Amino acid sequence: MSLEKIRDPERMRRWPGHMETDYVYTVGLAGERFFREIKDNGKFYGTRCEKCGITYFPARTFCERCLSELKEWVEVSPRGYVEMYTIAYMDLEGNKLEKPEIWAFIRFEGVFGGLVHKLGEVKPEEVKIGMVVEPVLKPKEQREGSITDILYFKPAK
Amino acid sequence: MIIKRKVAVVGAGLTLFRRRMQETSRELAWEATKMALETAGIELKDVECVVMGSAPDAFDGIHMKGENLADGCGGWRKPYTRVFVGGGTGVFVPIAAWWHVASGHFDICLAVAEEKMSPCHPHPQWAFHTIFDPILSRPLGVNLIWIFALEMHRYMYKYGIKKEDIALVSVKNKANALDHPCAQLAAKITVEDVLNSEVLVWPVQRLDISPITDGAAAIVLASEDVAKKLTDSPVWIEGVGWCLDSRYWTNRDLAYPKYVEYAARMAYKMAGIHNPPKEIDVAEVYDPFDYKELHHMEGLLLARKGEAPKLTKEGVTQRDGDLPINPSGGLLGVGNPIAAAGLMKVCEIFWQLRGEAGKRQVPGDPRTGLAQAWGDLMQIGTVIVMRA
Repeated sequence: MSLEKIRDPERMRRWPGHMETDYVYTVGLAGERFFREIKDNGKFYGTRCEKCGITYFPARTFCERCLSELKEWVEVSPRGYVEMYTIAYMDLEGNKLEKPEIWAFIRFEGVFGGLVHKLGEVKPEEVKIGMVVEPVLKPKEQREGSITDILYFKPAK
Repeated sequence: MIIKRKVAVVGAGLTLFRRRMQETSRELAWEATKMALETAGIELKDVECVVMGSAPDAFDGIHMKGENLADGCGGWRKPYTRVFVGGGTGVFVPIAAWWHVASGHFDICLAVAEEKMSPCHPHPQWAFHTIFDPILSRPLGVNLIWIFALEMHRYMYKYGIKKEDIALVSVKNKANALDHPCAQLAAKITVEDVLNSEVLVWPVQRLDISPITDGAAAIVLASEDVAKKLTDSPVWIEGVGWCLDSRYWTNRDLAYPKYVEYAARMAYKMAGIHNPPKEIDVAEVYDPFDYKELHHMEGLLLARKGEAPKLTKEGVTQRDGDLPINPSGGLLGVGNPIAAAGLMKVCEIFWQLRGEAGKRQVPGDPRTGLAQAWGDLMQIGTVIVMRA
């Protein structure tokens, strides 16, 4: 029997529940240094596996292909390019956004990986695949060692 | 039943067991995995498939954590599966890994278990609360320890067991853990310390119970031909069993875990064991609470009903006793990162049967060992029997 015709769930015999639990996550061994470099120095780092010839970005603790510990930290140029993008018109709750948001998968030269982040200072119709972008960070005193220390990426000059 | 091929454990790895580890969940899994591969003398490229196990996503706080942890478990571009039977998962992981190899489909399978419980803040109690039925139990404000308290009290009432007899298990296991380099709660305590500790939900007191822990464990399984090439001392998996009881806690015999007996009988039959207390040389029995070790010894037919406390009192279950139980220090001493705790027990039997347990080694060259875990909604038993 379906109760779908009851549009107001409060009219069903029910017990209201919630499954929210709160969490505190560590950023981990590689994350600790990766985010500290962004917070303190505004720099991006990857880690290199000499055996597999790959530099992972963002930096990781171990190589997924051979499980070697990655001890070689390599500075990565913050200028990347747009691999692909999308435009969001609704937020997480399904509400219409006042201003559409551009979200892009950004790759960086010479490394394996990249970042998904927001694009700013650019209109949706101006975004191009392959476009070179650079990060805009929060003012140093406001950074807290988080992915949101990067406000967005903008078209590079 | 025809078992196609023999399967051996050829390597094992374990992380520190601690609360609030800095490592991410996948970094923990990687540490255990790397150690297991190194001790097996193989590299990740030699691994043909991976089975991982972890208890509810709500502990690590990563939905679908099997996928999130895949690289740390060595799952990159390999057949990779997560198995789950709640708290019984840690011993179910090697069971699932066993059938991957016994089937003839793979020669080398990596088995990894991980749990990071401290992200759930301030305490995983809220995650445990939501395992209960939302209609009949949760509206009452049910607390996980209720069910243990009801079970422990029923066990005490039925057989006339005193709390001081149960407390001996906690004293033994925490002392055993003093020799375990990964242990979280190793301690020299007395029965009085247990009886004087804070009452949580009577009769469960603070020192009757295992802690909140982060950790990971891993083992490598290989087919007979491959195992014999890799090592001179493979440890064979000779029996596996698992069984789930009623989903209703009101429909179970609280004093005796019948489902553990069924799981054990399945494993014993396969291993050709007819007299478990005589034929099992060392056992790692699931001990998230002190009374559970006794409860499970009886379910595993290692002691007669109601008589496990007597064996404990007589010292039979000490490391140098006739039937050493939890020489590692168990969950009470080493710690309880749910799925990883079960696999830690399998690692311990592996080391015991190879004579590699160091200060924890039980005397007398043990040949046959057993590891057991328990869980889901307090109704599953998972059992593995191993031979040197």
